[in-house]
Amino acid sequence: MERTEILAGLVEILKTVRMIDQDKLAFITEDTDFIADLKTPSTEMINIAAKAEQKFDIEFDDDDIDDLGSKVKDIIDLIVATKERD
Amino acid sequence: MEVAGRKVAIVGMGGAFPACKDITMFEQNLFAGESLIRTWEETKAFGKNIRSNVSGYISEQEMDLEAIYSTLIEGYPETYIDHLGRIPDANLATADVGSIWAMLGSQDAIKMAGWNTAEVHSAQTGVVMGSGSAGNTVLRTAWNSFYEKGQKTRLAGSHAVDRSMVYREAANVSCLIKNRGVCEAIGSACATGLGNIGYAYRLIKYGIQDRILAGGIEATSLESFIGFDAMQVLSKGFSPAESSRPFDVDRNGFVCSFGCGIIALEEYEMAKARGAKILAVIDNYFNNSDGDGNMFFPSFAGQKRLWEGLLAGHVIKPEVVKVHGTSTPAGDAIELLSVVDVMGESGYHISAPKSQLGHMLGAAGAVELITAVLMLEQQKVLPCLNSNNFNQELEPFQNTPDWDGPMNPINHYKHLISSQTVEKEINQIVCLNYGFGGTNSAMSISKHD
Repeated sequence: MERTEILAGLVEILKTVRMIDQDKLAFITEDTDFIADLKTPSTEMINIAAKAEQKFDIEFDDDDIDDLGSKVKDIIDLIVATKERD
Repeated sequence: MEVAGRKVAIVGMGGAFPACKDITMFEQNLFAGESLIRTWEETKAFGKNIRSNVSGYISEQEMDLEAIYSTLIEGYPETYIDHLGRIPDANLATADVGSIWAMLGSQDAIKMAGWNTAEVHSAQTGVVMGSGSAGNTVLRTAWNSFYEKGQKTRLAGSHAVDRSMVYREAANVSCLIKNRGVCEAIGSACATGLGNIGYAYRLIKYGIQDRILAGGIEATSLESFIGFDAMQVLSKGFSPAESSRPFDVDRNGFVCSFGCGIIALEEYEMAKARGAKILAVIDNYFNNSDGDGNMFFPSFAGQKRLWEGLLAGHVIKPEVVKVHGTSTPAGDAIELLSVVDVMGESGYHISAPKSQLGHMLGAAGAVELITAVLMLEQQKVLPCLNSNNFNQELEPFQNTPDWDGPMNPINHYKHLISSQTVEKEINQIVCLNYGFGGTNSAMSISKHD
């Protein structure tokens, strides 16, 4: 799965998270920071991770979620790594 | 300790009311003598597994709300949309339905009170409100996902706790209005609504806070409803409008209803100084426990002591006693006899708003206090619907050796209760509410001159 394809999937997830400023999703890149740029409450990160598991049909390790960074590329890296591992 | 000369005024009200879009419609329907109790279609889906099908419920649609369901857990409301844009998305994300009602009611109460932003944000402004609920959809579906379906906890997301914790309504209102004073919830079953307002009254009376949003909430919840249905204490065998019938000889249970009542309280001199419209003044609040070790059965002695505590050191001679009046066989009879024992056989009316509303559980005391304020404003006693025929025989407990109360059948006091709206001069109303566990609450309010 290409990273651009994963990014597009993530945007679809973020569209369902109403606490994120939806206007900013049009400009999202791998360097976008969920918390600093999208003003995502840190509590919402677990929702995003759980929805990513469902969308990409994977299961993250709890430790990986604990260590997850706040940039978009961090979760893309984790999705890619988890898919390769599974 | 009370601070001498410090009084508490009611300066605002708001809430959520069955089949009413706002408090104005609620007032109109009440004084038109209408019942707000309807057939609850949601219960019918469960066929014979559920006994009662009537309720004074409020749907999400009626509140212009819409649940957004999770893709991870079936039936799990991930958040809500407010179609009228009254509550920001960030606040909706942390709220169950009851908390949203509390936030909307608080907005209305603040607006009616005329508090400015500095007053709302003050460290002297508190939030004291709670519910008596036994669960909600958020908790049920999150637990079901984990226990029954064996799914990971994280599928429930980050908001199972803030949407189900005991003081969720107070917390959500506080986060919305950004007050800096106390934020707490009092829980006392069906006395919760009046209990929170009574506690808030004391905080102001004792000089700890200057203004408080206080009240009770009971969000529409089948999870709460079925617990009472299981106890077989809900009314059965009548049309919806005839199901709640306090004091009537054919009453056989209460109607489980839902709602929200929020009251804006303010130290009297402050409210007066800023020219606020003072809806009523609180004369006194008192609460106690039966002390007889009985979880459910009402106590004549406990209620007599409640009155003694309320009256002590105060001039309280109400033209109306707003009773708990649930429409249960034992509860109504004991309450009527305890009121008569204290108040005598004439000179006042008894009002039982549950005849129109049903029993809003943790919201009952707060919403019924709103009805009392409306009675003061309108100078009318609300009708006690369906109170048609009273028992002409002594109640079983009146024939026991320990009984030391009035020795007349309750039919002897039928003149105190009208099934029609009564116009009269009303200067003072006493409000009574009780709860499981033998908890009793009483508040006296007076018309502002």
